[in-house]
Amino acid sequence: MSASLPVSLVVVSYEMARELARTILSLSPGYQRGCAPADYEIVIVDNGSSRPPAAEDFAHLGAAVRVLRCSRPSQSPAAAINEGIAATRGDLVGVWIDGARMASPGLLAACLAAAALHPRAIVATINHQIGPQLQFHAEDTGYDRHEEDRLLASIGWPADGYRLFEIATSELRAGVRGPMLESNALFLRRTLWEELDGYDERFIEPGGGVVNPDTFIRANALPGTQLIRIVGEGTFHQFHGGLSTSSVRGAMETLRAGSRAYLRRRGRPLAPVRESGWLFDARAQALVS
Amino acid sequence: MTRLHVAESDELRRWMIEYITSVLDLPVESLSSSATFDTLGIDSVEAVVMAGVMEEHFGVEIDPMLFFESPSIDAFVAAHGGPPETG
Repeated sequence: MSASLPVSLVVVSYEMARELARTILSLSPGYQRGCAPADYEIVIVDNGSSRPPAAEDFAHLGAAVRVLRCSRPSQSPAAAINEGIAATRGDLVGVWIDGARMASPGLLAACLAAAALHPRAIVATINHQIGPQLQFHAEDTGYDRHEEDRLLASIGWPADGYRLFEIATSELRAGVRGPMLESNALFLRRTLWEELDGYDERFIEPGGGVVNPDTFIRANALPGTQLIRIVGEGTFHQFHGGLSTSSVRGAMETLRAGSRAYLRRRGRPLAPVRESGWLFDARAQALVS
Repeated sequence: MTRLHVAESDELRRWMIEYITSVLDLPVESLSSSATFDTLGIDSVEAVVMAGVMEEHFGVEIDPMLFFESPSIDAFVAAHGGPPETG
């Protein structure tokens, strides 16, 4: 097996060429600050796209990118994620269940620094969505890819990735200490991913249903773990017609059906993690009291 | 508009109180059934989750919007509890 790295990223893609290009750019060495190119790799796992991405598509970015094709593509990303995790070399592994999420420029460095603070750290980044409101209002507001392109152009992206915060809405509506159902860029040490047994592939629903919340909740329930939320960095969802991010009705249906499936599988209701854990201020590189 | 009957009022109230106190890890006696879900700490996402769990328990399809139209236990039970409608 090849030598290990400080960090690996697993990014799942499915029919999102426009969005994936921006996401990988946002994870590339020219964009990420404080993390040396030799310190990380990006493993894209395509989950059955009609035109899968190729590593050459990203060669100009100077990142160590590998593209895998999931051997068992399905409507759920769980198997793709697990195959991606198995293929990584990083001591710390960050999972992007949705390759349509761009990162802010200090996200990798912050997650590495935060993970170093606890041997069993669960490093959770906060989800944002590009646009003035959460994207499931798109049907009512007319938000679409063209408007998103205009917003990104208005901040000159990618020149200063932190300006994404100016055009985005946080999914954590109760604030950074509020109840947290999931994190789209979730970082655990490889050993902790193994202990967790990765994503539960019984979540076969479209998009995996609530497999991402399930993973986050299970990780936090492991003994001796420490949740660390990253403040000042984040991921930013691009509009791509996803199940839970295109209409209010779609979001509700996905979550309602997901909560029923969760109850049947886990025997308890789906509930967010209410403990705020530690807050790591990425700009100050320190914990917030 | 057809009124959705979920369950008998006392049963529905008891279930909602148990569910919410369980999710929020609160003692039952501390819960005010007249408080809005939002005030209690049940946000819109959790209200939708509650709809799914309620469906599993009562076997009735629950439109999550009902929790926004009747945004407290008292209001929801008044709107959707009671004996089944006849005729």
